[in-house]
Amino acid sequence: MEYTQAEILQTIRMTEMEHLDVRTVTLGISLRDCASESIERTAERVRAKIEQTAARLVATVDEIADEIGLRVANKRISITPASLVAGAARSASDCVQLARAIDEAAGHVGVDFIGGYSALVHKGWTDTESIFLDSIPEALATTKRLCSSVNVATTRAGINMDAVRRVGELIKEMAERTREQGGLACAKFVCFANAVEDNPFMAGAFHGVGEPEAVVNVGVSGPGVVNHAVRHAPRDLPLDELAELIKRLSFKLARAGELVGREAARRLGIRFGIIDLSLAPTPAPGDSVAEIIEGFGFERAGAPGTTAALALLTDAVKKGGAMASSAVGGMSGAFIPVSEDAGMIEAARVGALTLEKLEAWTSVCSVGLDMIAVPGSTSAETIAAIIADEMAIGVMNNKTTAVRIIPAPGKDVGEQVEFGGLLGTAPIMPVNRFACADFIRRGGRIPAPIHSLRN
Amino acid sequence: MANEELIYRITRAVYGRLGAGADERAVEQLVTDIYRAIEPVVTTNGDSASTTGSASGAQGERTARGAGSPERLIVSVFGVDHPGIVAGVAQILAESECSIVDINQTVVQGKFAMVIIADMARAGRSVTELKERFRTAGERLGVRIYAQREDLFNAMHRV
Repeated sequence: MEYTQAEILQTIRMTEMEHLDVRTVTLGISLRDCASESIERTAERVRAKIEQTAARLVATVDEIADEIGLRVANKRISITPASLVAGAARSASDCVQLARAIDEAAGHVGVDFIGGYSALVHKGWTDTESIFLDSIPEALATTKRLCSSVNVATTRAGINMDAVRRVGELIKEMAERTREQGGLACAKFVCFANAVEDNPFMAGAFHGVGEPEAVVNVGVSGPGVVNHAVRHAPRDLPLDELAELIKRLSFKLARAGELVGREAARRLGIRFGIIDLSLAPTPAPGDSVAEIIEGFGFERAGAPGTTAALALLTDAVKKGGAMASSAVGGMSGAFIPVSEDAGMIEAARVGALTLEKLEAWTSVCSVGLDMIAVPGSTSAETIAAIIADEMAIGVMNNKTTAVRIIPAPGKDVGEQVEFGGLLGTAPIMPVNRFACADFIRRGGRIPAPIHSLRN
Repeated sequence: MANEELIYRITRAVYGRLGAGADERAVEQLVTDIYRAIEPVVTTNGDSASTTGSASGAQGERTARGAGSPERLIVSVFGVDHPGIVAGVAQILAESECSIVDINQTVVQGKFAMVIIADMARAGRSVTELKERFRTAGERLGVRIYAQREDLFNAMHRV
């Protein structure tokens, strides 16, 4: 037989018992040819283009998943940052009209999320982008599938603190507008430093301006697989050998994901873009990044030493992925969304995992403060300041960082907010109570670091 | 890279014919000659598996019968042993006009395990239909039947 029984069993165990799946097949669509002189016409063109390009996406991907025997959890779409095609908008409600058209098109083709209601304002905003930013809370509160992101900082441009301040206010407004659902709109909004143009994962996916007409990007996940391996490794296995073990597994995960991605691209007649190998947890038992870290030898995620463990994990995943495929891109590392990870929820509940420790983690993992619920009374300035800290980590370390934070209306520490489904359950985490408003009110720009001068 | 497993098997066959007292250098020469003679055939098959696996963009060019082909399914069956499992699974494959390329079946302490590599090139049914039949058959036979395309295993376990 061409494969040993152990190899066959390993694959079946991964796909059937350890939740190995392709987390998302994301179709990136350029909308740049949709801009027109009136917002109605733009919305119509956008709707038509999405519906036409993605018409066969869901059926084709489901078919491939069934044949190959590897689950594809989500089918999604990313689009050109909508602010770039909204030039005809004269008011925030014009932009919301565009948002609804995008959302309806996504519903029509059967995807669960569409990302790219976005603006790139790391150095400043245009008149259109300013109107567009104001529209985000209403757009997210009145749509179902739309995801939004704003890039407020890059290593080359520094941090646009005016944008950071505004985003803090927008997040408060989003929470208020979706008060009944625990501030759900905030879970569909990400604020970025060094945003990635080909990220297939929500809520931060958008189709970058350097991307082709349409492209298939794949996000592979497998915390369950890595968790199983780490837990079955000897307790005294040296860390370099543990890293090797994780690297080998990530290699296999990446290869399986690429197979699905290339097949999907071929059948859809669209270019294959990248495979993003990120350990993205789900609320399912065992499918947890926190549990992997705990498996290294910690009582709880968040304990001293867990930043080092996460650094090892992220790096091993990247190395395995890079060896497996020359098309590795996106974030590729480990995600740490608190509400979506059973281990992290528990660690936050018992006080092992704090906002400050999470912030430290983000300097070594692939993204940032993700799906964190804080008391509803947290001020817009404090949220902006949390964002500023996170952006600084990204800008200074030349990496992507992000903030997806939910000031849950009417809730306080000790309570939790339920989003359901993939978004999970977020325990309200305490925030440092000392004021930072004067710093945020200064506005302006934090200049780009010296190492941005690389030419 | 030389196929060590194959060289080992040729060596064993040669010793089997010539007896343990055979001249060591003569055996080595003979094994080398035989391996060189069959190497082109062996490596063509082997390479088509690994190269198409790594450059999976060229999937359309794969031969239906080569290893790692999207036309082949790996059917794995696990459960408690009782008569009729092999027959039940084989019947579904036969009715779907899938030929069995390779089959491996064992029973250890009453636990049944079987892996079949099936060629779907001339199959009269889609994979989805086939899997649905396996699911109902699995319930009837009291076993779990998994069917996955062979190129998944090729991608994960072969470089």
